[in-house]
Amino acid sequence: METLTLLAQGFAVAATPENLMIALIGCFLGTVVGLLPGLGPINGVAILLPIAFAMKLPPESALILLCAVYAGCEYGGRISAILLNVPGDAGAVMTTLDGYPLAKKGLAGPALSMSAVASFTGAMVATLGIVAFAPLLAEWAIAFGPAEYFVLMVLALSCLGGLVGDSLPKAMIACLIGLLLSTVGIDSNSGVYRFTFDMLHLADGIPFIVIVIGLFAVSEILLMLQGLHANPEPIALSGRMMFNLKEFMLAKWTMLRSAVAGFFIGVLPGAGATIASAMCYASERRMAGKDHQFGEGDMRGVAAPEAANNASANGSLVPMLTLGVPGSGTTAVMMGALTLYNITPGPTLFQDQPVIVWGLIASLFIANVMLLVMNIPLIRVFVKFLSIPVWLLVPGVAAISMVGVYAVHGNTFDLIVGVLVGALGYALRVMNFPIAPFILGFVLGDMMEQNLRRALSISDGEIGVLFSSPIAIGLWVAAIAMLVGPRVARMLDSRRVVAQA
Amino acid sequence: MSERIFGGVLVLISLVGLFIARGFEAPFSYEPVGPKAFPMIVLALLGLFALALVFGKTEKTAWAPGPVMQRIGLLFLVVLGYALLFDRLGFVIATALVTLPVARLFGASWKQALASGVGLGIGLFYFFDRLLDVALPTGLWLNAITG
Repeated sequence: METLTLLAQGFAVAATPENLMIALIGCFLGTVVGLLPGLGPINGVAILLPIAFAMKLPPESALILLCAVYAGCEYGGRISAILLNVPGDAGAVMTTLDGYPLAKKGLAGPALSMSAVASFTGAMVATLGIVAFAPLLAEWAIAFGPAEYFVLMVLALSCLGGLVGDSLPKAMIACLIGLLLSTVGIDSNSGVYRFTFDMLHLADGIPFIVIVIGLFAVSEILLMLQGLHANPEPIALSGRMMFNLKEFMLAKWTMLRSAVAGFFIGVLPGAGATIASAMCYASERRMAGKDHQFGEGDMRGVAAPEAANNASANGSLVPMLTLGVPGSGTTAVMMGALTLYNITPGPTLFQDQPVIVWGLIASLFIANVMLLVMNIPLIRVFVKFLSIPVWLLVPGVAAISMVGVYAVHGNTFDLIVGVLVGALGYALRVMNFPIAPFILGFVLGDMMEQNLRRALSISDGEIGVLFSSPIAIGLWVAAIAMLVGPRVARMLDSRRVVAQA
Repeated sequence: MSERIFGGVLVLISLVGLFIARGFEAPFSYEPVGPKAFPMIVLALLGLFALALVFGKTEKTAWAPGPVMQRIGLLFLVVLGYALLFDRLGFVIATALVTLPVARLFGASWKQALASGVGLGIGLFYFFDRLLDVALPTGLWLNAITG
């Protein structure tokens, strides 16, 4: 009951005319960013975050904007996947498998509307999941002390390190570079200058926005030039736009199953939308038995990955909101946004900032209804954005990124650091280093160090405090399992394939 | 090969970093863990994993072919120039100047590049500075004229 009261308060926050307007703009921008090949949710959120900050939006409105953009991107990714055979973001890779064949058969309209409904189902199930589980998790996590917190962050980093990319050293290096950069600046406990090299601008540390823009906007621009090729013509929309009852009946359980599975996969730190959509697509394909057209244009083939994709995107907000430990690159950026407003995410967030938390959850409900309404009748408007020429898009992204960085301190130094970080990010990405651990390390670095020092202060330097409580031990075991487990499983898997062959 | 070289650079960074971090001493301290422990742990781990990268199994890095790499380098320099000139020239001029080569690199014709430069410079300035109230630099040259 208490939850419902709080949720009602959340709706009161999210439904003010101003915040509704912000959500609407965010949904629209998010869908556009999502459908542009190359730009995904993380780029969208990264580019818009500094703007929201510069506009001096209050924290709840800024978060509503970012969440609406995030939700919108997950809807947008499917449009280019279906019409161009190019996923608009990583989560939409699986959608191309059946979406594009459907479009070639002249069923682009039904595929788009079906995937919109699937996205909506996934997002709604996941938002209900947040309402049901997040307060419980937050209550449980209040028992965490500094030692448990430190280990929890180790767990989050190793989840991401274990699941993303193929090489363990690469994932760890990315994460450690992030952690290292987070130590630049004055140490808040002792006043010692660390790695500032006598540069005044570095005394406050490297601003979060500079890192985010460098990693996700500047390096993306450089990569876009590398991957530049003639854009294929989108398949024209013709024929009926809506799916029919038969198609809906075929896909309805697929959607629900994938939504529930996607939510739980999303809650796990590290396993994001990409893994969720791939797993759900594969299992639906297996469950379909013989009577299916998966791979050649099956409605269930667009419904499953889209429902899972959106559900896991929303599910990954749970660890960020309740534990203060984001499980994905995008939620790491959002958590950075919270810290810009001097709000520390974590279990106490639900008690200290109910307006923000419940306003955000309520706005997810509202944003998804808006997105459903936008994405079915207005689909033709969004399709027009597919023909934005890349030579206009890239300078636009560059200019908006500079505006965002400049808005923080208004100095040239930050801009230059941002461009240099972009070059580093480009090199890392070309060499197949995962970038999400980098940003997660940077966001968590300060909190990790503070909790480590606090834990050791309490125990007077006795290092055993990190391994003393059952929660801490359990988290250590989980961290090691997550770091090593996926790779061992993959190795066994490949060995089995070899043996079968 | 690039991975091994990068790994080597990281090993160097971690050694130099460890050397620098050794000198982080708090003038007075009331906690058992000072300011140098955490950076040193991170640097040590970074060095270890970098060694693993140098001597471990690596994959071939797919760098872009030479001509493309040159264009990417050029794009990087243009964006760096943008960062340097952003404040000095002001948003409108810097954006217009930078859009021209960037749009050309991405395959626009001269006419398209010129039009998008002017359009983006003026349009985005109006949008951010006037509409959204995000203050943008008008440029030092303008200040010199208007005093």
